[in-house]
Amino acid sequence: MTSQTHDKVVIVGGGPAGTAAAAELACHGLKSVIIDEAPKLGGVIYRGPLRKTDSLPHLDDNLKRAMTALQTRYQAHRESIEVKTQTRVLGPEGSNQLLLSDDSGLSRQPYGHLILATGCHERSVPFPGWQLPGVMLLGGVQLQLKSGLVRPGQRMALVGTGPLLPLVACQLHKAGVDVVGVYEASPFAKLAKEAVALLNKPKLTLSGMSMMSYLKKHKIPFKYGWGIVSAQGEEQLSSIHVAPYDSQWRPQRDLAEQVAVDAIGVGYGFVARTQLAMLLGLEHTYSKVSGYVPALDEWHQSQNHSAFVVGDSNGLLGADAAICEGQLAALRLAWQCGKITESELFSRATKVNNKLARIKKFRFGFDRFSDRQPGLLSLAQPQTVVCRCEQVRKEQLDEAIAQGVKDITSLKMRTRIGMGDCQGKTCSSYALDYLHQAGLTENIGVIKPRFPLDPIPFTLME
Amino acid sequence: MKPLKRTRDITPLPSRNFKITVDDQSVEACEGETVLSVLLAANYAKVMENDRNVASGAYCGMGVCHCCQVKINAKHKQRACQTLVKPHMSVETLTNRFKEEGIKHD
Repeated sequence: MTSQTHDKVVIVGGGPAGTAAAAELACHGLKSVIIDEAPKLGGVIYRGPLRKTDSLPHLDDNLKRAMTALQTRYQAHRESIEVKTQTRVLGPEGSNQLLLSDDSGLSRQPYGHLILATGCHERSVPFPGWQLPGVMLLGGVQLQLKSGLVRPGQRMALVGTGPLLPLVACQLHKAGVDVVGVYEASPFAKLAKEAVALLNKPKLTLSGMSMMSYLKKHKIPFKYGWGIVSAQGEEQLSSIHVAPYDSQWRPQRDLAEQVAVDAIGVGYGFVARTQLAMLLGLEHTYSKVSGYVPALDEWHQSQNHSAFVVGDSNGLLGADAAICEGQLAALRLAWQCGKITESELFSRATKVNNKLARIKKFRFGFDRFSDRQPGLLSLAQPQTVVCRCEQVRKEQLDEAIAQGVKDITSLKMRTRIGMGDCQGKTCSSYALDYLHQAGLTENIGVIKPRFPLDPIPFTLME
Repeated sequence: MKPLKRTRDITPLPSRNFKITVDDQSVEACEGETVLSVLLAANYAKVMENDRNVASGAYCGMGVCHCCQVKINAKHKQRACQTLVKPHMSVETLTNRFKEEGIKHD
């Protein structure tokens, strides 16, 4: 494939990975176009406030610095980077074209080279009461703080696992929310075992420790080895039950405590966002941490479509790693387009790879700490809805599996799971885990994304 | 029209704002923010009633879960978290075509 069909590299996603790729391409004289559904570059993590504000009293300096760095990176090369915001990719159209939709209608984006930097979304874990208004995903809570500049609740608790818990707890508290408790599913002893891994990113580890001391100073309870059991409320959330988890993350229900809240953030992990990569026909493999991820070479390029996939959409490693991966893909592309020599490619890539290796060691430490245990699957009761859009209950999954369903496509046909508006993005990770738990490990498959990836209103086709 | 107060803003709104309508109440909004931020700022937790008559609030907040779909300017199923406010916008919560047109599931 040459760049004859289109002279710009098309990058889907303007988060850390996509923006870093565009900037690196620009350094080597290559023009690119970034397509993003949000109104502003930065991705979920570094987008920052969407409306004007004089101050950000609830955000720490590290985050503010990273948000500025991303904007600076883009600004330095803005003449080489075209940005199409509030634009959605509906899927591939013909060969080497994407179909886009925005306010003005449908359009086509031809590409010679394609870099996918579509990020990730949060993993949902159904539990009784999780449909109540006030129950939000942890990243969703954070987005409202960072981009919306609003408090999603007045009296909140956070449940889940991983470094986002203390970070969001601090941000909530600084934003004026009464944070009544933070419940980390994994025991502290498991974190202590990862000390060596954490030393790969000493600054990050220190900032994590300062967050923990902030919480302590403000008397915000942080309980390791605890998690959600259920949520209660009439019209909206009014309380949750939390309990100590055993080593398999099964709640010890007899020790459950009730906590009064009007909103919570739930964060038991993320899933790579690969719908577009799948629609393009890239080969994918299953990973327990990230869900289905594309099969790529060391430069993040796929064999069967020669598209690059960078950032969390090829496996969850976070924003710093996403920047490195975006740079690696851009360097490889610059070499493929004859803009840099092979020795330049390898000397620059070695530096980036060394950095990436340190981030990975740090990250894998947290992956081991936050490795989700099968007890989470037992939170949902037979009557608990596991697919919100189609209101499919857990007992319907059990019934289908008992009747011989062995893969996710049959489960979808049998129960309507994953057939609603969200197209399985909310329920399919749970369904996959559930099939695995039922002893089904081979050929479970995945809920196949369909064209268009986003609904096309009739008005756009007139 | 009844005014709706914003009580959940972390920083003050800029001085130049406009009004939008939420369920026949008027509320202040400003350029750049999403319909969802306005709803949350005005203390709305419950925003959607889905096709299966189940109410929900914003859940993922990033366009993935489709749990904050509202009616905007007479168009159903608009994601509040993905739509930027515009002057004179009219937002209706807790409604859908099944409810309005009396369509029933089998």
